[in-house]
Amino acid sequence: MGAAAAPDSRVYVTRTLTLTASLLAAGLGFIVFLQFGASDGFDAFDVLRAVLIFASTFWLAWGAFTALAGLTSRPPTVPRDPGPIRAMTAVLVPVYNEDPVATFARIAAMDASLRATGFGDRFHFAILSDTRNDDVAARERIWFLRLLADTHAEGRIFYRRRTNNKGRKAGNIEDFIKRAGAAYRYAIILDADSLMEGATMVEMVRRMEAAPDLGLLQTLPTIIRAKSRFGRTMQFAGAFYSPIFARGLAMMQGRTGPFWGHNAIVRMNAFAESCGLPELSGRPPFGGHILSHDYVEAALLARAGWTVRVDDDLTGSYEEAPENIIDHAKRDRRWCQGNLQHARLLLAPGLKPWSRFVFLQGILAYIAPGFWLAFLAASIAAPLFAPPIDYFPIEYWPFPVIPVSQVSKALGLAVGIVGLLFLPKLLIVLDAALRNRTRSFGGSLRALQSTLAELLFSSLTAPIFLMFQTRSVLQVLRGADGGWPAQTRGDGTLSLSDAWAASHWIVTTGGIVLVMAQLLSPQLVPWLLPVALPMALAPVIIAWSSRPSRTGLFTIGTEITAAPVMQLHDRVLRRWEGFDATVDAA
Amino acid sequence: MMDLAKPDQFDLDRLAEELGALPDAPLAMPVQRVETPPQPGGFWALLRPRFGRMGKAGH
Repeated sequence: MGAAAAPDSRVYVTRTLTLTASLLAAGLGFIVFLQFGASDGFDAFDVLRAVLIFASTFWLAWGAFTALAGLTSRPPTVPRDPGPIRAMTAVLVPVYNEDPVATFARIAAMDASLRATGFGDRFHFAILSDTRNDDVAARERIWFLRLLADTHAEGRIFYRRRTNNKGRKAGNIEDFIKRAGAAYRYAIILDADSLMEGATMVEMVRRMEAAPDLGLLQTLPTIIRAKSRFGRTMQFAGAFYSPIFARGLAMMQGRTGPFWGHNAIVRMNAFAESCGLPELSGRPPFGGHILSHDYVEAALLARAGWTVRVDDDLTGSYEEAPENIIDHAKRDRRWCQGNLQHARLLLAPGLKPWSRFVFLQGILAYIAPGFWLAFLAASIAAPLFAPPIDYFPIEYWPFPVIPVSQVSKALGLAVGIVGLLFLPKLLIVLDAALRNRTRSFGGSLRALQSTLAELLFSSLTAPIFLMFQTRSVLQVLRGADGGWPAQTRGDGTLSLSDAWAASHWIVTTGGIVLVMAQLLSPQLVPWLLPVALPMALAPVIIAWSSRPSRTGLFTIGTEITAAPVMQLHDRVLRRWEGFDATVDAA
Repeated sequence: MMDLAKPDQFDLDRLAEELGALPDAPLAMPVQRVETPPQPGGFWALLRPRFGRMGKAGH
């Protein structure tokens, strides 16, 4: 995607091809498994397992074919308009019990970056505090004054703290719009850990100006400043694979693109007239405030006729991410509840079909791991319900018929599933090498090594995430509200005992899986080891992966040369290090 | 210079509030309808009990 949404015909062709290919792959998996399962007699458990294989394979294939679609297109060369911009834009920074030093230093850096473009006066920053902790709020006020003194931005940088948290982040933004929205034509919505080049913000405004039907333009933020093994692996995956997946998705979205809640620009009047969120009837987790508001806001903008677009060619958009598996799982718990809550909105009046499909995809993202788990459980239990093998299936035939082993079919299925997981990533390496994109990842060889290491790491952590996600889904289904915990940012090193406390139930489950398999289906044990061993070793993997990474693998461009706005951020932080609550009286 | 470590020197809250005040430019943000209440007729009509509305014989 670039300056314009993909033409409708191409969108429909891409959707049809991707959906058809995914259904074919899932159907193939279903048939091959049925043949394998029926080799020792056919029973209901074989059908159940084949259906679960269908659902799981469809989900994997959907991701794989999305990437393949992304590989077929390139980011367009968008001519940059060097002319002046006249519209006023508010840069919104919602904060919630965040470290004000780190957050406000980012604002100072972005402000300096914007002023360097010559358009600093066209942008105002609004720090929208929902902080509940009074000590943190007191620090926010001190550091706000420090920020003003540092940037000489009185009248350009605002700070307000809400007395209540109605509507959480979406309510925080809404409160701003209701108070001050008419002063701005656009709003760039950030997270507390977002960082964006001034030139990128200016370019976003220009793209909005150039497309009057564009209601929301989403950038593809790159993860930066990861230090741990887990964090750097995710950072590499985000920088290396995500643009391709995002482009594939964009080819299918057309005018109904995504909003990921931050690092995006909205047209103020479009957002105001279309995105006032109601409270859902009933109690949390399915009722109450809409948690994953961003998906809903994108759907509502599209419903009102506005274009929602993601431009993956827009660089200079950054965010930070959890440094360990536990923090990642905590964030994922919140997203899980938000996505499952979208089940209430699948039939919302007037939505575009693609918006409904996006809700469904979001739900499937959390339900799909359950399919795998159910498949494993059904496979272990299957021998209990299997009919005895009939060695004399032909009447009056005196000799026994030994069933033909269908292990080759199971192997073929396993290879196919692994292929769906691995092949897109390997093709992305090849594509990156051919298009000279690997230079910012340490060269082609280093990018290949990083990809292989990432595949190994993600294979080890997948069963752990599978367990966390399944637990989250079960918690939501039994009505447990995850609340709105503040995100843990910064160094996320975990001790083995911390990791054990958070994951001992995974170890227990892994042990039970292995013991049950050994008792009921011993031939399954080797097949289960890639899943059960990482589960049994979960605390070790979690603690190990939270430690600082010192490898040359997983290099990304901003580690080789820090982006200009990152350098500005570092400079501000160094300047502020000596500050001990002392500030010029503004 | 002001020493912010001594908050009794001045009222931090007031200063932050004054300097941080948002522009006064309200914009309406109407609440959108995202839930569909059960519609009379169709599937729901089949489920609705009808005993109370049986026609009376005679007059």
